[in-house]
Amino acid sequence: MSVMQEFTKGLWKEVPPFRLVLGLCPVLAVTTAASNGLGMGLATTFVLVCSNTIISLLRSIIPGKVRIAAFIVVIASFVVIVELTMQAYFYPLYKILGIFIPLIVVNCIILGRAEAFASKNSLIPSVADGLGMGLGFTISLTFLGGVRELLGAGTVFGYALMGSSFQPFEVMVKPPGAFLCLGLILGLMNFISAKK
Amino acid sequence: MVVVLTVICSASGFVLSFVNTATESAREYQLLKYVKGPSIDAVLPEHDNDPIKEAVVMAMGQDDKGRPIEKKIFPAKKGGSLVGLAYDSGAEGYHGVISLMVGLNPEGKLTGVSVMTHTETPGLGARITESSFTEQFEGLSGEIGVGADVQGVSGATISSKAVVKAVNEAIELFPQAMKEVS
Repeated sequence: MSVMQEFTKGLWKEVPPFRLVLGLCPVLAVTTAASNGLGMGLATTFVLVCSNTIISLLRSIIPGKVRIAAFIVVIASFVVIVELTMQAYFYPLYKILGIFIPLIVVNCIILGRAEAFASKNSLIPSVADGLGMGLGFTISLTFLGGVRELLGAGTVFGYALMGSSFQPFEVMVKPPGAFLCLGLILGLMNFISAKK
Repeated sequence: MVVVLTVICSASGFVLSFVNTATESAREYQLLKYVKGPSIDAVLPEHDNDPIKEAVVMAMGQDDKGRPIEKKIFPAKKGGSLVGLAYDSGAEGYHGVISLMVGLNPEGKLTGVSVMTHTETPGLGARITESSFTEQFEGLSGEIGVGADVQGVSGATISSKAVVKAVNEAIELFPQAMKEVS
């Protein structure tokens, strides 16, 4: 596959939350608003690209028996960097995302890409893979957050879109709304793919 | 195997300690801005500087374990001249500590009192956060008495007295704080 294909596969064909159905914990938990989804997505993308880069560079010297331990150390380091930076410069977002920032460490997309892709491929395809998967994840989270915010609060990114007569479906910003939305989007994507 | 893991872990530790040091002051600033910032702005008179950025640390002696006790003084300036000071104070209320942000002007008169955290009884002691109670402090100076200068919240004598005690302590510290800032 070419570098371009490695990049674009994360955007539709293997888009993490909807196609691989991976990393659902943050997908369901933080997508109460579009901006939260975007912040979480970008944080995850940063970690994914950096860890893919390092792991791809180190793939020949990491012994097979301890590869998971080595991957986790690399991933955890980048997560701590993200956490500290967010705390220093984006405090309100840091407060909203809370425990889900440190939990990026155990996000199975990141370890999944490290194990399935970066540890077997050279640098450029690994970076493209990380970027594509990360952007796919970001777009999915922002979209899901946007839909839930629109139906649950009548706003998107804080801008009111539905007019004053709109009665928000409060359930959409609560946990059941996350499952409802995710299920509907998954179904829609399958429907579109099946038609092709 | 051991060597590779050791090298990876030490490299990670090295990078993280660097990031930790690099972001330390920015993180502290953000924490103050979002946790104490709203209270600081509420108690100070109108100003055009950033009191958190210009905070001065005042040494308050040592605690019983020999560690230094420090207090941060937040100065408010307008057109370069000092118009007020804010610092926190606290006292034991009915349930745990009530912590306040107290603002004073350069003459030592109170410009505002704001309750930052408390665990008083909802509906009774918790009413110390209401502006009808805290606004009474504005303009006062010297030793404040409950009933004489300030009407306590009815049914919440202990909480009201705790706030007044904390404010009095803050006023007592004023000459020292003023010296630190100027």
